[in-house]
Amino acid sequence: MIKLEPEILQAVEKPARYTGYELNAVHKDWDGVECHFALSLADVYEVGMSNLGLKILYEVLNNREDTVCERVYAPWTDMETIMRDRNIPLFSLESFTEINKFDFLGFSLQYEMIYSNVLNMLDLAGIPIWTRDRQESDPFVVGGGPTVFNTEPISDFFDFFILGEGEELIVEVVDTFVKWKANGRIGGRKGFLKEVAKLEGIYVPSFYKVNYNDQGRFLSIEPVEAEAKPKIFKRVIKDMDKVHFVEKPVMPYIGIVHDRIMLELFRGCTRGCRFCQAGTSYRPVRERSRAYLRQLARKLVDSTGYNEMSLTSLSSADYSCLGEMVDDLFADFEGEKVSFSLPSLRIDSFSIDLAHKMQQVRKSGLTFAPEAGTQRLRDVINKGVTEENLMTAVEAAFRQGWKQVKLYFMMGLPTETDEDIVGIAQLAEKVARKYKEVTGKWGVTVTISVSCFVPKPHTPFQWFGQLPKDEFERRQRLLKDSIKEKAVKFHYHDARVSVLEGAISRGDRRISQVIYQAWQDGAKFDGWTDLFKNEVWHEAFRKCGIDLREYNERTRDLDEPLPWEHTTPGVSREFLRREYDKAMRGELTEDCRRGKCSACGVCPSLGAKVVDYKRNGGEG
Amino acid sequence: MYKYRAQLTKGDEIRYISHLDYAGVMERAIRRAKLPAAYSEGFNPHLKMSFASPLSLGVTSDAEYMDFELTRPLCQPEVFDKLSKALPPGIKLMKLKPVKEPKACQGKKHKALMAEVEQGIYEILVPLMGDWDAVVKAVKSFNAVSEINYHRVTPKKTRDIEVKQYVLEPVQAGMAGALVKLSMNIAITQSGSIKPVEIMELMVKEFGLPVDMGKAMINRSQLLGQGKPLIDLV
Repeated sequence: MIKLEPEILQAVEKPARYTGYELNAVHKDWDGVECHFALSLADVYEVGMSNLGLKILYEVLNNREDTVCERVYAPWTDMETIMRDRNIPLFSLESFTEINKFDFLGFSLQYEMIYSNVLNMLDLAGIPIWTRDRQESDPFVVGGGPTVFNTEPISDFFDFFILGEGEELIVEVVDTFVKWKANGRIGGRKGFLKEVAKLEGIYVPSFYKVNYNDQGRFLSIEPVEAEAKPKIFKRVIKDMDKVHFVEKPVMPYIGIVHDRIMLELFRGCTRGCRFCQAGTSYRPVRERSRAYLRQLARKLVDSTGYNEMSLTSLSSADYSCLGEMVDDLFADFEGEKVSFSLPSLRIDSFSIDLAHKMQQVRKSGLTFAPEAGTQRLRDVINKGVTEENLMTAVEAAFRQGWKQVKLYFMMGLPTETDEDIVGIAQLAEKVARKYKEVTGKWGVTVTISVSCFVPKPHTPFQWFGQLPKDEFERRQRLLKDSIKEKAVKFHYHDARVSVLEGAISRGDRRISQVIYQAWQDGAKFDGWTDLFKNEVWHEAFRKCGIDLREYNERTRDLDEPLPWEHTTPGVSREFLRREYDKAMRGELTEDCRRGKCSACGVCPSLGAKVVDYKRNGGEG
Repeated sequence: MYKYRAQLTKGDEIRYISHLDYAGVMERAIRRAKLPAAYSEGFNPHLKMSFASPLSLGVTSDAEYMDFELTRPLCQPEVFDKLSKALPPGIKLMKLKPVKEPKACQGKKHKALMAEVEQGIYEILVPLMGDWDAVVKAVKSFNAVSEINYHRVTPKKTRDIEVKQYVLEPVQAGMAGALVKLSMNIAITQSGSIKPVEIMELMVKEFGLPVDMGKAMINRSQLLGQGKPLIDLV
């Protein structure tokens, strides 16, 4: 057990990051359980504590009598320095136990730029970084979350991965562990991995061999153990009303990033935006029923005392019974001063009316995502939104009194030309002028936030080369110069980070060496602007003799084997190819939620189906 | 509106949360307790609650005070039980009293809780790093001086504060097991105060108090107004 002296806690920023004892945190007798699971997100406490997936798994695991699940996050740099100086190992926030005493250490992998922190945490925990160096007594290092659909760049650091939704699978993993342990740990570490590899949705990277062609490019990956499947499909929850949802989240004492109730309405989004990895990763759409959500909302308000609730999903406004559900919530919480918010708005007047109703008086600002500046390019990405849609939506918003609009765009999308870039400025200016037209005065702020496009695995754009940094920066300047209206404010992302993300997200196993090198040379908290060390990363690529551009800038052949195809969310290569072709022709694809099936392959390969209470004709 | 005053603790588990965070924790606790809490008007309604003197980060307390308002009068045991059950680890409800507001014809309303605070009593437990005699000597010398400045450095400004104006009684020293126990009675005024840790620092640096400051545990045991615990003022 680790006990931090007052002088340590007095010396660091926000010491409550490390002191635990939060309401609803679960404390169990260490020796009274069979399985000890540490759950982590390799970022600072306030970020880690905001993750919904971890909150769910924490409860699922702790609901088992034979298991204890405890939390651990990345110590901030000030604390890390002290821990390294005094040889204090990484510890959990419940029992303050050293992390290397746990049976499992699970990481939620939210984005690629977190990988250096994963390595840093393993090191702080005294767990060997490379799986091949781990001993029988070391925890199994497990990864799950959004980036598992290309785990190759980190596959040498993880004992296994959980693909897709983890609520059911993590229980199967623990069952397997408990049985293996009771049977005297047959076959040791590898024996357990062989057992767990049999479960649907588990990927054990060390059970595969990767072949490269004579140009050094990825050629194939093949199982070398009998238990390893050639292709691993993700897991999905088939009935969202029957799976456990958070009821008593751990309540932080200090402010965290998402310091409110998160009520998850549904999973999946099939709008079919061709750049979007979430859109292919979380298919199919599966809604929770209105009645169940109503129960959950009550439980969560009672167990937390929060007065804010966010109705979360990939596109919450698409929830089939949203209007009715918001009425339910208003009725149930009248007089309790609970406010509700929708994190994502659709570009239409239904969304505006709803946002108006939910925000009542406070008009904080509306956010829309047209993603591209011209209709041509919006059709390429299958955004399915027209300029007219946007104008109608903002007009409604301005009439209701909003004065701030934020518009999200991407830069560097396939087929993008300078005309599309200038189009972003023109669209934003039209929105600003619409305000004048509606209200007769100036005083609106239109903020455009433009990110750099990173082609992602298992999307129709997975073959495309990413723009080089200089080209991103030229287009950023072009856009900046194209904005004439003072009402339009321009924010853009650091192209340097996107370029690295581009290389890692479509990397193969050889990228592990680069990540390791970068971490050794001081990379950590890469997602934090002021801590990001661009040069360290580029130097790491050079030291490893790996050309970054081969991974991010190179356009892949359409029939080239790709290093991530054996770990799949279930969308077929044929579907992605069709979508690629349609993108090039500027053709749209319907949302299968209520429209025609686009034959993406997910439902048949996973044995799942769309659950949408409008489409199914029923009431929630 | 029906006002109540609560005496709460800030335990070891949460000694490192700020005053503002403590207030947020209490706001959520009142909401979990399902008390008919009164809210401020406006676009962004807040629970009507106020606190006495803020506690420094790292200091525990047996005497945190909070006033809050309900829209209906509930009997003391009901409020006490509901609120107690809703508190997180590290906070206990010690006492609770309804605040009796005098009728309009009887004179002034209660002062704001913050304005009622006049003195705080603190104990510091800190490992001894030398002779007990040196402790006695350091405390005696500190108590003997009539004035002494503390050089306070904050990120915003640096200034010298005369300490003795805030020290209401001589600092007492004793042994508690292997630890030195220092007791302090400190004035808290509208224009300022001194922190117990600052007094200890001065005693170490200026008077040779042989203790390991980095391991000091500080607790506020009482908060007084007109010589009485704040809970007894209502």
